[in-house]
Amino acid sequence: MRNDLSGQSSGIHRELSELIVSTGALISLLISREGVCLSQAGGLASLNTTALAALVAGMFAATKEVAAIVGENQFSILLQQGEKRHIHISLVGKRAMMVVVFEDYTRIGKVRIEAKRAGEVISRLLDAPPVERAPDEEGDIYLPRFKEYALNLVDRIFRVDEEEDGVHQL
Amino acid sequence: MAYISFEDKQIVFKLVYFGPGMSGKTTNLHWIHAQLSEKYRGDLLVLDTERERTLFFDFFPVSLGKVENYAIKFHLYTIPGQIHYEASRRLILEGADGVVFVADSRAGHLERNIQSYRMMIDNMVDHRIPVDSFPIVLQYNKRDLEPLIELGSIERELGLTGIPSIEAIASEGRGVMQTLRLVSTEVIQKFRM
Repeated sequence: MRNDLSGQSSGIHRELSELIVSTGALISLLISREGVCLSQAGGLASLNTTALAALVAGMFAATKEVAAIVGENQFSILLQQGEKRHIHISLVGKRAMMVVVFEDYTRIGKVRIEAKRAGEVISRLLDAPPVERAPDEEGDIYLPRFKEYALNLVDRIFRVDEEEDGVHQL
Repeated sequence: MAYISFEDKQIVFKLVYFGPGMSGKTTNLHWIHAQLSEKYRGDLLVLDTERERTLFFDFFPVSLGKVENYAIKFHLYTIPGQIHYEASRRLILEGADGVVFVADSRAGHLERNIQSYRMMIDNMVDHRIPVDSFPIVLQYNKRDLEPLIELGSIERELGLTGIPSIEAIASEGRGVMQTLRLVSTEVIQKFRM
């Protein structure tokens, strides 16, 4: 997913932050269907958001298949109830999911309402055309040089101890 | 297509290890994770069944460092190889930037490899991935378990040309990092903004 959120990301972050304030949640995140964390507000030191994003994307895809089996197109909300912490996950538009982690389960109603409201605003932001970037901003990646340096990193970090080059090509 | 965040200054590439059940996809990921310094690797997530077969997917992120002010990351995924996990497979290929097809080289497994490769192409077409120009590396794994299928036999059966292939024994780490390096190199060479 190309993330042209240049003009929208501050709006998305603001919505996620407001969601935290209005619900008393610990953290809220926006995750792409491909499993990448696009934005987050609040925080938990111990929370691995990279892994969470990958897993939530997987969960939602699996749930979509479950929905298909019972004759639904998809389930738009997933709720995971734990002993201390709970997760509310909702679809945002066609490409993203919003995750809210909260502790006070009596606030589930509030979480639902606020997540729905924030989701609608974020969905509109995601659908807005990307803001044009100034040429000098776009030019901050000079592709040939970027590739050369990135390939050097790949060579160095994914290093091959065995010198033999076993690559074949038909 | 790579995920690019101009705000956070990061570029994330998604690599997927595809292949039939028990061909060694998870073994590849475990080896890579063990080889990389902690500085570069994130936690390895393994979702398997009691019989150590991947149920959902395995995953870990690699942070290569910064280039031109952008943090470069690779997210490595395996798919569950078993035939009935079609939904997970489809999901994991979504947004992929490169694929390693891990083939089982044992004689008698050619048909399973062919079937899995065809399934991969079908899933890629579903995701509108341009198959002909997409970075794919074919890894002939389990080269220590004779009798073996011939190198090139999968390509011949499927009429593939131009797909690089590597011999591997993932359980000993042989060919694993070469495979990763090869697919990553192709992914970066084909990267467009």
